[in-house]
Amino acid sequence: MATPPWQLSRHGTLWILIGFAVAVAPLLRHLPPWLAAVGAIAMLWRIQIYRGRWGAPGRWLKLALVALGGAGLLLSFGGLAGLEPMVSLLVIAYALKLLEMHGRRDALVAIYLGFFVAVVQGLFDQGITTALQVLAGVVAVSAGLAGANQRDLHGRPGRPLASAAILVAQALPLMLVLFLLMPRLGPLWDVPTPGRSAITGMGDTVAPGDITRLSRSAGIAFRVRFEGEIPPRGQLYWRGLTLSQFDGRRWSRGPSGETARASGPAQRRDGGFSDYSVTLERTGTDWLYALAVPEPLSRGVGVKSDYTLVNPAPVHARMGYRARAWHAGAMDAAGLAPGIRAETMALPAGSNPRTVATARAWAREAPSPEALIDRVLQLFNRQFVYTLEPARLGRHGVDDFLWTTREGFCEHFASAFTLFMRAAGIPARVVVGYQGGEAHPEGYLIVRHYDAHAWAEVWLDGRGWVRVDPTAAVAPERIRMSLVDLFAAEDGLFADSPLSLVRFRDVGWINQLRLRMDAVEYAWGRWVLGYDDVQLDLLARLLGRVDAGRMALLLLAAGLLALAPVLAIALWPTRRHPRDGADRAYLRFCTRMASLGVARRPGEGVRDFAERAARARPELAASIRAISLCYEKSRYGRGGDQVRQLRRRVASLRG
Amino acid sequence: MTPLAWLRSRYQRWFHGWLARRIPEEQEVVLNRRRIFILPSRAGFAFLGVVALLWLVATNYQNNLVFAFAALLASMFVVAIFHSYANLSGLRLRVEQVDPAFAGHRARVVIALGQQGRPRLRDELTLSFPGASPVVATLPGAAASTELFVPAPRRGWLRPGRLTVESHYPLGLFRVWTHVLPACKGIVYPRPIRGEPLALGDGGGEGEARLVAGGSEDFIGLDKYRPGESLNRVAWKHQAQGRGMLSKQFGESISRSLWLDWRAFPGLDREARLSRLCQWLLTVSAADEVYGLRLPGVETELARGPAHRDRLLALLALFEVAD
Repeated sequence: MATPPWQLSRHGTLWILIGFAVAVAPLLRHLPPWLAAVGAIAMLWRIQIYRGRWGAPGRWLKLALVALGGAGLLLSFGGLAGLEPMVSLLVIAYALKLLEMHGRRDALVAIYLGFFVAVVQGLFDQGITTALQVLAGVVAVSAGLAGANQRDLHGRPGRPLASAAILVAQALPLMLVLFLLMPRLGPLWDVPTPGRSAITGMGDTVAPGDITRLSRSAGIAFRVRFEGEIPPRGQLYWRGLTLSQFDGRRWSRGPSGETARASGPAQRRDGGFSDYSVTLERTGTDWLYALAVPEPLSRGVGVKSDYTLVNPAPVHARMGYRARAWHAGAMDAAGLAPGIRAETMALPAGSNPRTVATARAWAREAPSPEALIDRVLQLFNRQFVYTLEPARLGRHGVDDFLWTTREGFCEHFASAFTLFMRAAGIPARVVVGYQGGEAHPEGYLIVRHYDAHAWAEVWLDGRGWVRVDPTAAVAPERIRMSLVDLFAAEDGLFADSPLSLVRFRDVGWINQLRLRMDAVEYAWGRWVLGYDDVQLDLLARLLGRVDAGRMALLLLAAGLLALAPVLAIALWPTRRHPRDGADRAYLRFCTRMASLGVARRPGEGVRDFAERAARARPELAASIRAISLCYEKSRYGRGGDQVRQLRRRVASLRG
Repeated sequence: MTPLAWLRSRYQRWFHGWLARRIPEEQEVVLNRRRIFILPSRAGFAFLGVVALLWLVATNYQNNLVFAFAALLASMFVVAIFHSYANLSGLRLRVEQVDPAFAGHRARVVIALGQQGRPRLRDELTLSFPGASPVVATLPGAAASTELFVPAPRRGWLRPGRLTVESHYPLGLFRVWTHVLPACKGIVYPRPIRGEPLALGDGGGEGEARLVAGGSEDFIGLDKYRPGESLNRVAWKHQAQGRGMLSKQFGESISRSLWLDWRAFPGLDREARLSRLCQWLLTVSAADEVYGLRLPGVETELARGPAHRDRLLALLALFEVAD
């Protein structure tokens, strides 16, 4: 059986093109800029093909275009591995598919690519704005799908969009049910992740200048909500990593920092504690930020031997976790493992000789480690300057810093202090993370990249690891207030965030607006993106016990509920058999005939019945035939006055 | 017969029996739950593939936004079921008429479409009879009609069979279809074949049956074109002038009333004789002769005119045909 030749309708073409634009445009900020040109050319070309001005590209030209696109990607990324190159490849395929929509299948491939490309945007960013952009993309691409399956009627180009929008709107309740109830699985295999270079955030090594660079960004690192009072600002040391390996310039993680303890390190859990939940922006790394002494409350989050929290996988999307901070807890108070002691006392050979020599001399003079620490901090306090733009350091960076330049940012102080302690025979390590945060009027804390900080931890007999922040000694106000207030006059701050609203925090209404927007974004992150955490809890509360049977039942019930409006709309007209005037008149006619001895049999057609009745009642034959004809006309014809005529005829039959 | 073919034939027999019970022949068909079938189309399965892929992406990246949109697409798939169903549900169908045709040609079937209940726009309805090329209809208002051309291979009654109504509206993700059996039959005249009738010395009746045999095809006049007639005969010049579709009629110059007689074609089988009688009938009626028909056991009156012609054609069509 031959099917009519398929041709993409005009409105279908139009909406597939619009869908392409809406799906791809927001992605472009994550992809090489030349992809915008590729997309624009493809759209223009497609329009010209449609208008009959240009031809579709031939086979060789298409191959050349594909090769060109691939070469462009290789040039831009240096390879095809990774998320950005793969998404770019998809975009190129999508653009080229626009040019060869010959058959139904081609159009479908383009449309389905559109769905995929539109949604995959969420891998780069999950904010509300992105969510709205993805929604717009899905609606526009669906309009393309609707347009490809509809006739162009009455020249209304908006019809496919209307169909798609209605469909999406009706699908939203069911989507909500699926989102809330569908169980999530863990990752099934490793996937290429967004490039690390694109993310602002802390690295796993620290050299002079690294944290200074981070302070240029007003981007958000994470938000925290405490279940109770927010502890005083001076307590808010968000530990990220401990760095115990030093090469003379750069601090990096030691071997013990890599190993996680299955059961978590022994902790003294007494005194008060604070529970809090963190919504971490994507970092591309696996460590999490927590207050000492941490105890993770979320599934999957582990504790390492250096009392830092670790996620099983790199954080490639905003995630939430809960933790508890034991305020009076101690770390490794019972004694230091030999491996860790060796690691945290190691000195790079021949590096910073003057510092090492001085430290040894001071250690002999000091009655206790505490006294030695005080002496060093006092040195910092009296003679050092805290600045965003310190002088450059030479080969023996710590020597230069301590005895020559005497100005630096937190990483300089932490590095010098830690090296000094080690040389004096005290185990010490650098800790990087964030300090402080901005308290939002709604009761949570916003921690930004410019809150990045480095400090030191020393191990003291009987007390375990003790935090020492040399920056607090040189610039105590850094700990009391935020960096923004401290360096308000300096240009270096926010150099990377020219448009950040934080710049205008002095203007009242802009500050209000900024805080309001952040509250919405935070709620989104906490309740939508971080929903996994609450889901099990919620289900358990709802079902009492979570098992497959109850889950299936709940899903079914909720799904049906969500579909109820759609069901009502779709099934209404046929279910109720609404009778219009013609039906009612014809039924009166049937009753009348039945009373005359000719009853219409179930399922008997109008014509058959008319013929049978006419034979049985020849004296009424003309009327009967006229009534049947009239009824048929009212059903299949366009005449509006048929109904009135039918009523009159039926009435006259009765008389 | 291979086991597979055997199974298939068994299945088809069973399916047709089941279909006959479930959707019997009806004067007027109203599509409802009993009659409508719905399954995902190939495009629908591909769409599910996209959803599954997005779900995998969401799971592997632990990305709730992607998960939410995978759920949205899945929900759209479910909602599309109802939209697809609603496009067919409540549709009324009736075969308005089946035009007569000559065997070997196609017969025009006019189908009236109506709506039960609140009229809604019904888009992309594909209607087809077995062997007929499908027609795509839309029903923008309360009623519409559409035409299909069904092959008429044999003389006798033409039953177009099951009408398949199919739709992929609105997103093409589902195929919604039904095989209904609207009550209708059309008549199929014998295939006209030119023959040389024997002159029968037949002295009865008013007309002297003198036959002028053979002769070239003389143009006689124009008559309204009847579907099924050869397109070679259409008077395209008139058509182009907007004077309607007319067909040229040819015939031998016979000037008297005559009997079209079964016995004029001895030695031929039934169908061959009927075919020749049919052509003969067309020729004489085009020449506006007075004529009658003699078949074994049948003798008509002598008359002329289109009504007479059609009555005689029907006699030829249904000669020795069981209902």
